[in-house]
Amino acid sequence: MDILIQQFVNALSLGGTYALLALGLAMVFSVLGLINFAHGDLMTLTGYTMFFAIGAGLGLPLAVVLGIACATLAAVAMERVAFRPVRDANTATMLLTSLAVSTILHMLFQNLISARPRAIPVPSWMIGAVDVGGLAIGVIQLMSITATALLLIALSIFLRRSILGIAMRAAALDFPVTRLMGINANAVVATAFGLSGLLAGVAGVLWLAQRGSVDPLMGFLPVLKAFIAVVLGGLGSLAGAVVGGFALAFIEVFLRAFLPDGWLPFRESITLTLVIVLLLVRPEGLIGRRENVR
Amino acid sequence: MLHASTTRIAAVAAGLVVAGGVAQGDSHGITIGYAGGFTGYLAPYDQPSLNGVQLALDQINEAGGIMGMPVELVVKDTRSDTAQAAVVAQELIEEGVVAMIVSCDVDPAVASGVMAQAAEIPSASSCASTPSLPAAVGPYMFSNYTADNLQGAVLAEYARGQGYENAYILLSRDTPYTEKLPEYFGEAFEAMGGTVVAVGEYTMGQQDFSAEVTNIGGLDPSPDVIQTSAYEPDFPAFIKQLRAAGIDTPVLGSDGIDSPTTFALGDVAEGVVFSNAGFASPGSALEAFEMAYEAKYGTPNDTVFTATGYDLMMVIAAAIEAAGSTDGPAIRDAWDNLENVQVATGSITYKDQNRVPVRVVALNQVSGGERVHVGDFSPDPSMIPAP
Repeated sequence: MDILIQQFVNALSLGGTYALLALGLAMVFSVLGLINFAHGDLMTLTGYTMFFAIGAGLGLPLAVVLGIACATLAAVAMERVAFRPVRDANTATMLLTSLAVSTILHMLFQNLISARPRAIPVPSWMIGAVDVGGLAIGVIQLMSITATALLLIALSIFLRRSILGIAMRAAALDFPVTRLMGINANAVVATAFGLSGLLAGVAGVLWLAQRGSVDPLMGFLPVLKAFIAVVLGGLGSLAGAVVGGFALAFIEVFLRAFLPDGWLPFRESITLTLVIVLLLVRPEGLIGRRENVR
Repeated sequence: MLHASTTRIAAVAAGLVVAGGVAQGDSHGITIGYAGGFTGYLAPYDQPSLNGVQLALDQINEAGGIMGMPVELVVKDTRSDTAQAAVVAQELIEEGVVAMIVSCDVDPAVASGVMAQAAEIPSASSCASTPSLPAAVGPYMFSNYTADNLQGAVLAEYARGQGYENAYILLSRDTPYTEKLPEYFGEAFEAMGGTVVAVGEYTMGQQDFSAEVTNIGGLDPSPDVIQTSAYEPDFPAFIKQLRAAGIDTPVLGSDGIDSPTTFALGDVAEGVVFSNAGFASPGSALEAFEMAYEAKYGTPNDTVFTATGYDLMMVIAAAIEAAGSTDGPAIRDAWDNLENVQVATGSITYKDQNRVPVRVVALNQVSGGERVHVGDFSPDPSMIPAP
């Protein structure tokens, strides 16, 4: 039983990171119909910003703030430079543009910074565990769960209360009609990218705290996971992305924990098979609405 | 559009590498080719290897070249792509290279190696460590780097020497290195009287090791030692979560964690022992290499792949000198009979080794964020698991 609760906490913590990333992807998708494969590289940018900030003696808290700010600004810049010119092109063009942006960033990191990973020292207090009713919960896990909860609450307030937030939700339902209501498309799109950058930055900090280093290609795998989470939750649904992130993490953690040894090599295939089965049962995703399926 | 922009970037990147990579040489000199992954996922290994090769080349040319002829290096980027590795190898063959260095990973190394094999040009992978690689390609393919079974045997010998009875191994089937090295360790550990109590598996890039750590905590009997060839980002994530769960079992790693990241991990990495290709003790050839490296590149060397790249260029030079000719079959035969070639990491012997060299394995311990030399080992050949 203890192990079960422990694994539950593990899944919750991993799910938090997936949810943050998936939500970032879903925000951009909901307004533009674009899956931004350069999203993971915003995490990498956060990492390099932190690396240089710590190297310049700015200290970890400031490095974290700068890292997240850099990811946010970079996301807005990415939209302005790469995606705005092709906004009215078909979705395949935008998808390929995002892959091109990602490849260009990889090349720049590899050739201008280093192909070798760069260490980001994590203070030792972050590495311990807190005892909560007999459960050992890692400090990083606790931070990850807390940060996810706070960000999700703040975002849902923003989306419900502010004009831009309401406009974004409206755009997710029907962008052309939202524009007809007098909403500035550029503002909505830029906000979506900015928020996705912010979410990627926070997820990046949490991820870097676990891995202790930044390397040019580190963003690729998380963006794939987030993509699976978004599809699982329901393309076009913001809440779906969050649910999809947690669902994916629960499937992964529980399979790794409880599969018999002989089955372990197949855990990824079993995870993806489960995702496919879920999608066969609910083609619109866990909370996607039918009319949102594009 | 994507095609145009990525191709342009690739061309720019390749141009940078080639501009930095081609030595000024007489067109009548000796040409060596390097088909490496200088962009893409192999860049962290092939870029430093190239730096080492380049340094060796400078020293060879300053000392009068090979057989009195200047040596030229032609560098081509495979973009870490297996199909491109074959294309690039063919281009190098057409440029008349007499020996070829190929990528650090097995798949592209095989792709380039078979082209060189067909042209009877000897080739060697910069740092692939799978011991079955040369046999998979044929008599013209050589290994350079410390083989996985050699490292596994040294780590097992050390573990048994510490009195460890029960081992847990953590492997990933994503690459031969992360899968085979722990398996070789387990095989040697059991041959020496120990027991492998459980085998864990992870996926490379998995951020979260909590499930595996929780399982290790519940093992009965609990392991005396944990061996893994996970490297970053997996190794830091694993060891942080292991120590955070209060498990203080000693951990043995391999050369993949020989990186500044490991030494920046702080308390969690304290006491970790890992194998690699050499330790730069005062007065050693490796220390001299490190100094020459810093003098040439202006930054301290931060990985052993530079030194093993240097070693490989020195081995190729020794093979051509010994052959006394630039004829492929003659170089191959001479290479296969090299003994005690003095290189940056110590000495290398190919004679009677089926083209997988015997070289020293050093054990290092992480202590206070610094590297401490545990010792240099060459295990009894009977204790090295068969590839």
